[in-house]
Amino acid sequence: MADLGRAALVVSFGLALYACVAGTLAAVGRQRRLADSARNALIACFGSTLVASIVLAIALVRHDFTFVYVANHTSRDLSAVYSLTAFWGGEEGSLLLWLLVLTGYGALAVALNRRLLRDLIVWVVPVIGGVATFFAFMLFAVASPFATETRQLDGAGLVPSLQNPYMVAHPPMLYLGYVGLTIPFAFAAGAMLSGQTDERWIVATRRWTLVAWMFLGFGQILGSHWAYVEVGWGGYYAWDPVENAALMPWLAATAFLHSVMIQERKGMLKVWNMVLVAFAFELSLFGTFLTRSGVVQSIHSFSRSSIGGWFLGMVVASTAFAVALILWRLPLLKARTKLESPISREAAFLYNNLLFVALTLTIFWGEIFPILTQLFQGISRTIGRPYFDFFLRVFGLPLLLLMGIGPLVAWRRSSVRGLLRTLAWPAAAAVVTGVALTAVGHGTSRPGLIAYTFSAFVFATIVVEVVRGTRVTGSLFTLVSRNRRRYGGYIVHASVVLLAVGIAASSTAGANVFRTLKPGQSTRVDGYTVTYHGTKSIPSVTESGTTVEHRAFLSFTGRATGSMTTSQIDSSTLGPSREVGIYSNWRDGGTDLYTINSAQNGQTITLQILVKPLVNLIWIAGYVFVFGSLVALWPDAREQRRLVSRLAFARA
Amino acid sequence: MIWLVVGALVAVAAVVLVSLPFLLDHGESDELETPTPRAETRLALIEERDRSLAALKELEFDHQTGKIDDADYRALVGPLRRAAASSLQALDALDAQD
Amino acid sequence: MARPSRSPARLVLALAVAGVLAIFLIYTALAGSTPSLQPSNLAGHRGNVDLTGKVVGHVSGNASTADGLRFRLHNINGDSPTVPILYHGSVPDLFKSGRDVNVTGHMENGTFVATAMTTKCPSKYTATQNS
Repeated sequence: MADLGRAALVVSFGLALYACVAGTLAAVGRQRRLADSARNALIACFGSTLVASIVLAIALVRHDFTFVYVANHTSRDLSAVYSLTAFWGGEEGSLLLWLLVLTGYGALAVALNRRLLRDLIVWVVPVIGGVATFFAFMLFAVASPFATETRQLDGAGLVPSLQNPYMVAHPPMLYLGYVGLTIPFAFAAGAMLSGQTDERWIVATRRWTLVAWMFLGFGQILGSHWAYVEVGWGGYYAWDPVENAALMPWLAATAFLHSVMIQERKGMLKVWNMVLVAFAFELSLFGTFLTRSGVVQSIHSFSRSSIGGWFLGMVVASTAFAVALILWRLPLLKARTKLESPISREAAFLYNNLLFVALTLTIFWGEIFPILTQLFQGISRTIGRPYFDFFLRVFGLPLLLLMGIGPLVAWRRSSVRGLLRTLAWPAAAAVVTGVALTAVGHGTSRPGLIAYTFSAFVFATIVVEVVRGTRVTGSLFTLVSRNRRRYGGYIVHASVVLLAVGIAASSTAGANVFRTLKPGQSTRVDGYTVTYHGTKSIPSVTESGTTVEHRAFLSFTGRATGSMTTSQIDSSTLGPSREVGIYSNWRDGGTDLYTINSAQNGQTITLQILVKPLVNLIWIAGYVFVFGSLVALWPDAREQRRLVSRLAFARA
Repeated sequence: MIWLVVGALVAVAAVVLVSLPFLLDHGESDELETPTPRAETRLALIEERDRSLAALKELEFDHQTGKIDDADYRALVGPLRRAAASSLQALDALDAQD
Repeated sequence: MARPSRSPARLVLALAVAGVLAIFLIYTALAGSTPSLQPSNLAGHRGNVDLTGKVVGHVSGNASTADGLRFRLHNINGDSPTVPILYHGSVPDLFKSGRDVNVTGHMENGTFVATAMTTKCPSKYTATQNS
């Protein structure tokens, strides 16, 4: 069956290459049949990649250990679900997933638009084909998932911390995000190649960008939640290179989502948008390069692998391609209008973009710093948490404030008087919040206090918008359904407020202590009295080996009453791991009591006990984020009809 | 062995799909449609008109909800109305040329 | 984006901001960065460093008591002199002899006193050998 997989990948490579080469020839020579043929090749490429993926999936579920990949990432006792998710547990499978999503998105994009935007699609096909060619080449020549060997008795298995619902969903979501950024990039390149540099490409790809951005954002929240409950150090984000690899393209995409609104309305920032979309795309490729090549130290520790160099080459080549395109089409990308006032919504979006890009570049600098110092100084130096945390505040807090001001400023220009009037209530809410928090003792952390007051400000502006709007339209539902983009955006902003509050509270307040206890002893931590009741060692035997779980039993009173366990686990095949104990106190705003079995000496335990205030707001924010994105995405029949009549117009 | 056959079938299907535009040719022109300059201009004007109308609609809504007060509204609405009117006129003029 | 008559001021402002930011970034990065070393090139480095290596030999002690956790590190790939480590703090998942770890700290009288430690997540994405 591996033969089928290999054959399918060869076919995929051939089709992708054809789509790229034939597509280019067709676009240059203006040949309709060749262009349609290239488009069909892209769609067929999805088909053959799907065949290859099904082969791998079946091999995984059936535990066919003649596949090296299956042997390396599953074991006989692994359930069907986790065996399937091992698809993306390794390098080769991840590449296959990337190609599958890319060709899937690509096929859908060109198929949906085949009657509209024909002059644009003709160029989009070869661009997507080019990217697909790279991945297909990697898969059949450099890192094949279909290598075989003589049958092994059992596989190496999946690390326990990855056997978790979050790890089922997190990688595919991230891929749907990362890879999704290729589509707007391909349309942008298509726009420049065809000379159609007006807003058509933006209007056509708006939903694609939003979908990719939504998956990328939600995927990261899932990943953070996984880190919080499984890796178990009490945190959820460590500025690890792999985490940053997903954050950077997301930030660039967020900037892009805002700045395209300016181009759609005012015809400004055309060059900026081209640069931004290419930047987001390159960051998603670069992120893959960083995590695969082992060039930077990371808790995920991908050992140096062969594909790192290829990815770097692809990043360099595609960046050069994008830069050349933009320089060539610079004359066509001149703006129609200019910025009229520094106090306008356009200006607010501009400031927002500058801040997002500044934050992205800051993180990027932190990422490549070790590589640069290794090259120039011979010693690789890494940048620690404080740098990232500092710049997150420097850029993130103003962004938070801007999120509140932006919606209240008029397009084109706003009078200072008018602006102050609309800002009055939200500003008052912010001040009241700040004073109240300081009065009850939560003002000790200055960045935290700033975050809370800004959050209150933003939240108040959203409430004011909704109240005012509902007064005009009569019902909330009518209001939202008539202004889906705007109010979907407000819901997303609300999720960011939740995120900011959750992050600020859990990182600037609460507790983090070590206590050594004998059975029966208690200790007080930040309003909780935790009692240790002893540890039981629980062995279990599976097909692959033995596991012993040292489970510590705890109970607590105080702010909440209950019990929990926290364990150290020793597996003969997979080594040590642990399960932390988490109690979420919803009456306390979603604060967690978090315990780690840090060390065990007979029945004496050393517990690390953390109190994480409002941390659950972060996970809730993820769901609100998705809801807001879906509202903004919701198709509008009237808008669709107008769009179709415009975009199909070239044929008239 | 059977898998190689299936693989060959996949390859054949791919080739068929790719050749379809050539096989299904009905003798139409092979020229890829390019929008004529006139179509381009018309499309640009339509987009201009839609943009102005959307901006006007948004301004009205913001004024109704009270986000923009009367003074600011009066200052902003004039230019927007003129822009919308001029693109509508240009569109009519273009159509009248036919 | 702006007509020539307006752009010089904005351009100057943008460049100035970018310049200040760049200087700030470089300064912070250099002041806030720590060298990433292996046991083989640790010699001579004073001050805080990141040390990456493989845990070898016997692990003794308790990281949460005053005595600390004691173990030795050598280079991940092969021979190098071993460095004795003394660690206080939270012991991460997967820590045991034979594991690759990263510790942060400084040399003090021949022992590396570490204040932070992370272990590497194994098996996911292990490189396939080039055949």
